Amino acid sequence: MLETTGISKSFGPIHVTRNVTLKLEKGERRVILGPNGAGKTTLFNLLAGVLRPDQGAIHLCGSDVTSLSVAQRAKRGLSRSYQKNTLFDGLSIRENLGLAASIHTGNAKSLWRDPLGRPEVRQIVEEVANLVNITDQLDNTVNAVSYGTRRQLEVGLALATRPSVLLMDEPTSGVGPEMSKAFHRMLNDLPRDLTLLIIEHDMDLAMDVADTITVLNYGEVVFDGLPEAAQGSELLKEIYLGNWENA
Amino acid sequence: MFRHTPLRYATLILLFSGAVFQAFTGDYYGLEILSEILILAILVLALDLVAGFGGMISLCHGALMGAGAYGFALLATQAGLSPAVAIIVALILVGFIGCIIGAICARSHGIYFIMATLAFGQMGYSYVFDAPGFGGDDGLTGIPRPDMSALNIDLGDSQTFALYCLAALCAAYGLVVLFLNSGVGRSLVGVMHNEVRMRALGSEVWKIKAIAFGISGMIAGVAGILLAQHSMYVSPSIMNWTVSGEALVVVILGGLGTLVGPIVGAVVFVVLKHQVSALTSYWHLVVGCLLIAVVMSGSNGIFGWVETQWTRHLKQRQSPRLAPRSEPTSHQETVKDA
Repeated sequence: MLETTGISKSFGPIHVTRNVTLKLEKGERRVILGPNGAGKTTLFNLLAGVLRPDQGAIHLCGSDVTSLSVAQRAKRGLSRSYQKNTLFDGLSIRENLGLAASIHTGNAKSLWRDPLGRPEVRQIVEEVANLVNITDQLDNTVNAVSYGTRRQLEVGLALATRPSVLLMDEPTSGVGPEMSKAFHRMLNDLPRDLTLLIIEHDMDLAMDVADTITVLNYGEVVFDGLPEAAQGSELLKEIYLGNWENA
Repeated sequence: MFRHTPLRYATLILLFSGAVFQAFTGDYYGLEILSEILILAILVLALDLVAGFGGMISLCHGALMGAGAYGFALLATQAGLSPAVAIIVALILVGFIGCIIGAICARSHGIYFIMATLAFGQMGYSYVFDAPGFGGDDGLTGIPRPDMSALNIDLGDSQTFALYCLAALCAAYGLVVLFLNSGVGRSLVGVMHNEVRMRALGSEVWKIKAIAFGISGMIAGVAGILLAQHSMYVSPSIMNWTVSGEALVVVILGGLGTLVGPIVGAVVFVVLKHQVSALTSYWHLVVGCLLIAVVMSGSNGIFGWVETQWTRHLKQRQSPRLAPRSEPTSHQETVKDA
């Protein structure tokens, strides 16, 4: 579904991503771990098309998308949510989701028809709002809702394009334990054919959601395997999970 | 997203009624001023579409208006087309020019976007000024008004021409509202709020900006055609960047991103211009002071201030015991509405 072959990226003398090779099967849920500065977000930016790799290739559903723009990759089914909320702040939650759904359904290209009134757009809005548990907040402006709701909307926006691969950059960033649990449930409720690649620092969530775990350190893949193997890895404890067992 | 509030409807009805009243009761001078207001209102409506709903502050709308005026003038006087056909061809031409400018400038933002549009505008101005066939500094004369005698309408009459301009303004307003509620229009608002996210959702941002700029250019072209028909003359001065700057002043004075506000701004600007210039030639000073006062007040123009006061009044009526401590500024509310 999503495959990278030896992608590398440098900013001047600093090698941020080194020869990263990943292969995600359809429906796989992989969590990316790594300390701060390990190159996790840079890897996401490379996958999403914000950055172009210096070397290597990225394949999505069998097609080479390395040279495609962010929008072109999104149209091919690659969606992402951001670590920092990247929403349409002045609009209502319904309008936020409606924008994403109208782009997915092609209604955003219409020069005279209101996409928010289209049944297919409304259906996606209702479904996604239900999936991320913000149905009761649909008519509130983003500025007027809580941080937790915005995080849910952040994921909802990415889901409203009906992606086949979803990149989630720390979805539980900044939320409390209760909301974090709600995110666990939400992620587990997502359709099983959706491929998920998640950057996460919340170990409980990582172990709860992940089918496989990849660990980055200094831009390199240092571990790639099952969560159980990650738990027992001395290397990982050394570079990242030192505090995890005691947590 | 753009919404019509009761206050906006009421203001529109008031403005429309005022224009009709003036058209049927005004003398020749009054009718000429009315036509001037209506033409300026169309231009600022075009500018508000891209600036207020797309975040694209343009300094080339004067040039786009000029392109419409010159396009119509050349097609109607030298290409021998009938005024009706010349209008359609000129509007398509201006829409295309607007699309090209929008597409080229789409990747720039803020001051760079302003400078890029300024450069396009001044290029157009310089070309028209120097190139043969445009009449140079003297401009073009003998521009006809459409012949509507078959409908028993004489556009040579000041009153009829003012009503013709009013009909054009209504059509332009309807077109802008229709566009803002369309898929592309809503995407334009999305781009203004968060361009990065729109790209991540799969939207081709440059296309949205190009289409919006094309439609805006077309509406500015309508203003240009009406201006050329009104004075039956066109000169390069209407393409100068100062005309675009003046239009921007009117939009900010009235209320950016409200559609209704810029029309109010056009009324205030033209009336002030004529009333104050009768007293002193330094009428720009008065307009400048007013603009500074509006900007310093933190309100989104005159109409934005009225909207804020109205919202505050409604809130106080709903909960008389709860006096509002800190009201959001009108601009914040407008952004919310948009």
